[in-house]
Amino acid sequence: MTASLFDVNCQLGRLPWGEIQVGSIDALLADMDRFGVDRALVSHTLSWRHDPATGNQQVVRELREHRHDGRLRACWVALPESCAELSPPDEFTREAIAAGVAAVRVYPADHGFDLDGPDFAGYAAACAVAGLPLVVDLGETSWQALDGLAHDHPELAVVVCEVGYRVLRRAAPVLERRPNVHIDLSDLSTHEGPEWLCARFGPDRLVFGTGAPRRDAAEAVARLFWSDLDDAAVARIGHENLDALLTRIPEVVR
Amino acid sequence: MIDAAHELVDALRARRPQDTFRIIDAHAHAGPYALFFIPRNSAKEMVAVMDRCGVRTALFSTNLGIQLDATAGNDAAARIVSEHPERLRGYFVVNPWQDPDAEIARRQHDPRFVGIKIHPDLHHYPLTGPRYAGVWEFAESTGRPVLTHTWTGSEYDDLGQVAEVADRHPLANILAGHAGVLRESVDTAIAIAQRFPRVHLEICGSHGHGALIARMVGEVGAGQVVYGSDFPFIDMRAALGRVVFAGLGAAEAELVLGGNMVKLVPGLAGS
Repeated sequence: MTASLFDVNCQLGRLPWGEIQVGSIDALLADMDRFGVDRALVSHTLSWRHDPATGNQQVVRELREHRHDGRLRACWVALPESCAELSPPDEFTREAIAAGVAAVRVYPADHGFDLDGPDFAGYAAACAVAGLPLVVDLGETSWQALDGLAHDHPELAVVVCEVGYRVLRRAAPVLERRPNVHIDLSDLSTHEGPEWLCARFGPDRLVFGTGAPRRDAAEAVARLFWSDLDDAAVARIGHENLDALLTRIPEVVR
Repeated sequence: MIDAAHELVDALRARRPQDTFRIIDAHAHAGPYALFFIPRNSAKEMVAVMDRCGVRTALFSTNLGIQLDATAGNDAAARIVSEHPERLRGYFVVNPWQDPDAEIARRQHDPRFVGIKIHPDLHHYPLTGPRYAGVWEFAESTGRPVLTHTWTGSEYDDLGQVAEVADRHPLANILAGHAGVLRESVDTAIAIAQRFPRVHLEICGSHGHGALIARMVGEVGAGQVVYGSDFPFIDMRAALGRVVFAGLGAAEAELVLGGNMVKLVPGLAGS
């Protein structure tokens, strides 16, 4: 039996460099079919490399205007309150939920702010209240900041992506202390990393994510299916854990 | 004709070892590494992962050998091969600062080793430097491979230095480990491999992508592209997954996944 896969970490839009270019919904769906990925959360590169407010509207518009049979859900990008570039936190999450957004991503390093501390606290708190998971690449922050954020906002689900292969000494204590911190499979490239983390923390702390199309989705798929985890754990990681994280988002009648 | 992609993907999705190809992992390590924690890094545990994925043989150097002590690490590698002779074969590490000629003399006739591993970045010594003279003499006289770490932009092992030693030593079979690592260097890696037929692009690394592997195979030819994973330094399944989904034909996949290494090391044919 092949487990259903729900990808927490996908993007639409172009990239400014490199041979692997990100593109359209059709291209993303074709790749998802090739890798056997059923559903995905998608943010837009406009939100990352141009303007979060513009990109957030763009991803919603693209998902509304293109057929995807419900396989894609939007992920918005948030900023700190410092310069009032987005709606105030509570309004931002209300707008997000009304637009069908399922998670919020941040780029603290690229967007120049600190994830922990007071500057982003308003949005972190609003996301926690709204049940919107916060998604962040490790390269955009630090385990110390994640520890602080998860401590200050224990109801906020945090998904850390693209953690690399040198992280267990710092990651394990944070996972131990903060049950609201999760790791996705994109570039969880420690040898037998998923197996070691599951043995220590159980399968509920990992979620499937690819980082596609920037990162080759083949890595996460092979990492999960050629693991020594049993089929129940693979199903938890493949889609059930992310589905569970999204259950706190209120249903919106549109 | 076997549809390579279909067979490999089917095995992966069914969560069973692939058995279509005799896979040889051309870039492996063994043991702990001080800079970060590697779980399950023993030879026995490495073989368990190989069994799960369907990898027949892994060619490795010890992390001790590359990180600190070539002689002690090579001794450990020899012991590991003796314990797993059907599955693991060694590269002996030559550290240019640790009496390289003596290390070559000590290991060159030991059948447990298939070739040499050098790591100019870790040893702070340029790939083109004279302390590696014995390495290239060994390579040209035996035809056995030299796996070198490469990193685009490094002062020690940039791809340009691979080209320089390939030009100086045309009979040396060089495995350019990671093929320069960075995606931005794929054009350079391809150009060098096109110019030097004994330079092989080994594809493991943190920044790899199946599309780049497919491009290397398309533009250089499958005969100069080699699968390696860097495991257990890095998860074996990252590089292996990229090859599985790269869309290679059966003949191409056979070469990349092991056939090329059998050509370089005929002793692997019966492994």
